[in-house]
Amino acid sequence: MNRRPSHSDRFSQGLRQVPMIVWLWLLWVLLWGATSAVVLVGGLLVAVGVVLLFPLPAVLPGGVPRPLRAGRLLVDLLTDLVKSGCTVAWQAVRHGRETPSAIVEVPLSVDSDLLMAAVARLTTMTPGTVVIEIDRRRKRLYVHALPVRDQRDIARRRSDVQAVERRVARAAGHHRGAEKPGPGPTRPDDTRRQSRGRES
Amino acid sequence: MTILYGATLAVIAAAGLLTLLRLVRGPLALDRIMALDVLVTMTIAATAVGAVARDDTTAIPVLVVLALLAFIGSVTAAHLVEKREGMR
Amino acid sequence: MTTVLNAVTAVLFPAGAAFCLLGALGLLRFPDTTSRLHAAAKAQTLGLLLVLVGAAAQMPGRHAPVLLLVALFQLFTAPISSQIIGRTAYRTAGLDRDLLLRDELADRLVRDGIPLPGHDRPQRDDDAER
Repeated sequence: MNRRPSHSDRFSQGLRQVPMIVWLWLLWVLLWGATSAVVLVGGLLVAVGVVLLFPLPAVLPGGVPRPLRAGRLLVDLLTDLVKSGCTVAWQAVRHGRETPSAIVEVPLSVDSDLLMAAVARLTTMTPGTVVIEIDRRRKRLYVHALPVRDQRDIARRRSDVQAVERRVARAAGHHRGAEKPGPGPTRPDDTRRQSRGRES
Repeated sequence: MTILYGATLAVIAAAGLLTLLRLVRGPLALDRIMALDVLVTMTIAATAVGAVARDDTTAIPVLVVLALLAFIGSVTAAHLVEKREGMR
Repeated sequence: MTTVLNAVTAVLFPAGAAFCLLGALGLLRFPDTTSRLHAAAKAQTLGLLLVLVGAAAQMPGRHAPVLLLVALFQLFTAPISSQIIGRTAYRTAGLDRDLLLRDELADRLVRDGIPLPGHDRPQRDDDAER
């Protein structure tokens, strides 16, 4: 458990690149719009080459993504998109110049670059909210929100973003408190090794 | 269906005109960047509708390029604006 | 099958075009740059998404995935560019502070002793620059 030969370590690291390679390959074939042997083989070579030449840091720290929750996230996103899209459209037609807005500070509880980026992106994607500034260290988002009339609206916007955050955390398997300790000896100060052991 | 395509194109064209107005008027460089970005988006939408209406798929790969260029262009331009304002 | 696809297109095309138009209207009518971002984002994501999905429903199988790819790509990149433009707008005083009901970012900047952008040279704080 504690001593792992570097060979298999490298293998598991290579295995983690497979989804990326498959995605790039698919993209290549899709853009060519043909499935001849040259395109297939060339695409595979290009995909592997790109992954080898431009390695990305591993972004998913621990936590197992849950497809069902992710699907729920997508459905919620689409309904949010349409709903707030209509709100902003109505605002543009009805009030136009006198649209009240505010910049709201949203404290987050997730502590991972990837999840914070995801929350910020989803927030910006829905009309009516644009993330203006991200404070990574203090885990804060600063959100410009559009139809905001009073203090109650500000509080509601804040809790809206935090609801998105909870959904994202759940979809990525990061639900707080639900983290079960792995089968090996778990030391609280050594979480990095622990998550690595769980993956392979 | 032809009427539907025509109407859709007309509405998108009207939206494009309004965006052009903002592009001309926009007090800040950022407004113009944004308007250009939206204009490219509308070009993509109109091209897609046109491809369906004329049953001609030649322009489809162009859409991918347009989407890529619009993104890179507006991000770069926004960075330049920030740099320029910061020098003042 | 064709009827269903035709119906999908018949619904999605006008809806997408309408969102494009409303987005353009908002782009024209909203008072400051940051507010206009909201309108732009709407035309870019909702409008284009609906139109592209509607077009994909009419396309022969080979081209539909490319259109969906463009839609996906737009959905991913539009927030990034509007976030960058919004950040730049805030730092270069592209937003009308008098229109804001409340500005909690300014509150924090004042607490940290950082001069507000627009009054002084915009200053980068390192923790926000990630």
